Amino acid sequence: MNLLSEQPQPNPLREGLSPRAVPQPCTIVIFGATGDLTHRKLVPALFNLAADGDLPPAVAIVGFARRPKTDEEFRRDLEEATRKFSRQNVRDEIWKNFAQSIFYHQSEFGDESGYKALAKRLDEIDKNHGTRGNRLFYFAASPDQFEPILKNLKAAGLNQTCKGSWARVIVEKPFGTDLASARDLNRIIHNSFSEEQTYRIDHFLGKETAQNILVLRFANAIFAPLWNTHYIDHVQITAAETLGVEARAGFYERAGALRDMVQNHLLQLLCLTAMEPPTDLSADSIRDEKVKVVRSLHRWSRNEIAANVVRGQYAKGAINGQPVVGYRQEKNVNPDSQTETFVALRLYIDTWRWAEVPIYMRVGKRLPKSATEISIHFKKAPAVPFNKDLHDLNVLVIRIQPDEGISLRIHAKVPGTSFRIEPVKMDFHYGTSFGKASPEAYERLLLDAMSGDATLFARRDEVEEAWAFIDPIEEAWHAKKDAPELFFYPAGSWGPEAADDLLAGDGRAWRRL
Amino acid sequence: MPAIAETYSLGLPVEVSKIDQELKKLWQESEDAATRASLINLAVYSEDADSLSKNTQLMANITENHACRAIVIEADCNAKEDRVEAWISAHCHVSGAGNKQVCSEQISFLLKGGCTTLLPSIVFSHLDSDLPFYLWWQQEFREPMDPQLWTWVDRVIYDSRDWEDFRAQMRLLESAEQEANQRIVLCDLNWTRLDNVRFALAQFFDHPASHHHFAKINSVRIDFAPGFRSTAILFAGWLAAQLNWRSERTNAANKFSFVSSSAGKIEVELRERPGEPIGEVAVATPEVEFLVAHAKCGDLLEVSRGKPSEKRMPQLMPAGKNDPVSLMSEELMRGGPHHVYLHAVNRVRDLL
Repeated sequence: MNLLSEQPQPNPLREGLSPRAVPQPCTIVIFGATGDLTHRKLVPALFNLAADGDLPPAVAIVGFARRPKTDEEFRRDLEEATRKFSRQNVRDEIWKNFAQSIFYHQSEFGDESGYKALAKRLDEIDKNHGTRGNRLFYFAASPDQFEPILKNLKAAGLNQTCKGSWARVIVEKPFGTDLASARDLNRIIHNSFSEEQTYRIDHFLGKETAQNILVLRFANAIFAPLWNTHYIDHVQITAAETLGVEARAGFYERAGALRDMVQNHLLQLLCLTAMEPPTDLSADSIRDEKVKVVRSLHRWSRNEIAANVVRGQYAKGAINGQPVVGYRQEKNVNPDSQTETFVALRLYIDTWRWAEVPIYMRVGKRLPKSATEISIHFKKAPAVPFNKDLHDLNVLVIRIQPDEGISLRIHAKVPGTSFRIEPVKMDFHYGTSFGKASPEAYERLLLDAMSGDATLFARRDEVEEAWAFIDPIEEAWHAKKDAPELFFYPAGSWGPEAADDLLAGDGRAWRRL
Repeated sequence: MPAIAETYSLGLPVEVSKIDQELKKLWQESEDAATRASLINLAVYSEDADSLSKNTQLMANITENHACRAIVIEADCNAKEDRVEAWISAHCHVSGAGNKQVCSEQISFLLKGGCTTLLPSIVFSHLDSDLPFYLWWQQEFREPMDPQLWTWVDRVIYDSRDWEDFRAQMRLLESAEQEANQRIVLCDLNWTRLDNVRFALAQFFDHPASHHHFAKINSVRIDFAPGFRSTAILFAGWLAAQLNWRSERTNAANKFSFVSSSAGKIEVELRERPGEPIGEVAVATPEVEFLVAHAKCGDLLEVSRGKPSEKRMPQLMPAGKNDPVSLMSEELMRGGPHHVYLHAVNRVRDLL
């Protein structure tokens, strides 16, 4: 028996065919198979991979859920969802071929016998479909079900595989709600699966533009000498969305923007922006450098938090000219809710490279537009020789979504006899330069997990360090005495004024998006 | 903006010396309605009469996924007078990101007379600076291979299926490559044609537990369509190079053999059958056959393994297409060096 995955021997016939690691035959078991994530993201992603020929033919999918359903009914549901959510048209013959490897397994998550039956079924699938004993368990169920699922997988021996095969587990966020619960979750996972078998998914990392941050920084020599406190004035990271809480009120009420977005997505983007060059592109080399960034984040004392972190909640307002209700008036939201739908932070990374460079982050719902981007604001050029103060800084913007791309603001002379200088923008758009649509983040991440490449998945220490940074802020917000104020902002605005003041106090302003 | 046409006309006739000014005017007229994009210089050279319009149509389709500066050249080397005519146009497509028009510009040339001397000057003076230069050569290569031209080329694209004398053509290309200090990547569309079939066969052996089959392979059967024998031979060369098989002397045109590193003999049979360029490939050991065959519906491959007589459950994989636009798109998408191709060629050079 072998708990660890094994590095496959290279296949000589693969040489030159594909630069990426090869996904291996396997059965993907999805816990929470009747849920939204499975229908909207996971199965459409797997179908797209199959249609593009990126999935090995020997891949089977087993949906594990409580509701009674036959294989046929499950396939029909998934077909309907895939036709709706797939990024490419569903061709009948490809779907038919793909669907013959989809199965449904009905069981309660806490029912041990259901897992024994699952083990038997997986063995049969291995025999009939050539999936070779490789298993990828995808946890798309709610986090409170993780423990019984993991316990029962272990009891049924499904965490172990024969030599040459592997078992891996993909865990969806949230990875806990604070440091203690994250440690607890990691402990529960590691009772059944090792860290090498564990893939914590953060779909932001599957986005083409997030991956391109590494390429931009480490494949272009021009940026390396400038990427430090000597040349960078400050960094801004924004994740804005026009949507409100929608159908997620139950979850969002408990989580809030800080836990939902900052602890994972935004800190991951920060890590990619601020990390030192990795020695190679192996998963651990990259993750070693990322975790150092989170570990180096300056921790605010309780009484410094209000001055550096602003929380807000949207009140009624308008989005795209349409009136919308405030957060407290949303369905399933406590009318006195203290949950933040907006956070703005000023961070510092206590390293030589980033000393005294403020990193401003903001994330919010019901903002005027949906956009996620990182902007690097370079220091001002000296007033000589033009004898004028150039107020606009050079800004390098990495647009994560939408309209993925990179732009650089520089100064140029306005044509004419006078020496007028104005900022101009050099702009690169992925959609313009590359006609081919990028694969969805889940496609990339599922393929990586099947290939045993954990580079784009969060490691245990990254997750725990992120919570260690977030926890004091949450504690301060929930303190009975002197808790920092919750500011309200009208839906359709760029957040509370206090967020603007955070930068104005430093003589800066949020980038206009 | 009259020159940005949806049809495949050559566009606006321009004086060669004024191409840059006219292009500038073209974009000024479009104002904000269209965005110019370019990732490569893609020049296509042909000596076929009427190739300008055929290649303009190809470029219109290729630029949908590969923004480039297209330089389309038709040469009439036997013309008595030395003359150059030029046109400019743009291929515009709605971008995937929204409803913005993304345009690639095309400069077309009709060269008459001294092709060899005119070509480098035409190409050099109209490249979009700092972008790689891909040259799609639709003719047979012939001496002299102008070193001035070849040292500028990053990738030379050709289709060896059209060659009458493979060895002679490769010799010319290799000399050009040497001139360019090995910088040129040789891109054979006949090799690109094999991508999907190679991919489909390779996936059988992804799991290390299946590698033991390599040593047991004793026969390979490749069905090819009329006119695609060289494609089938390249496929056999690929297997031989990657699995370290040595070729044996043979007198039969469509039957030959290799010897594996463990002295096992591998019989290769090529069969001409109507249909797709490579219609079916069967790689067999005494126990199991690995089969890749075109599905009836055309652009899918059925892949299956099993004993020759037993019922199998085939899986479907994309087959790719054999038209020039699809092959070029595939080639441009992939990039990178083609060492595997050169190894494959070297294994079967005498058979081609």
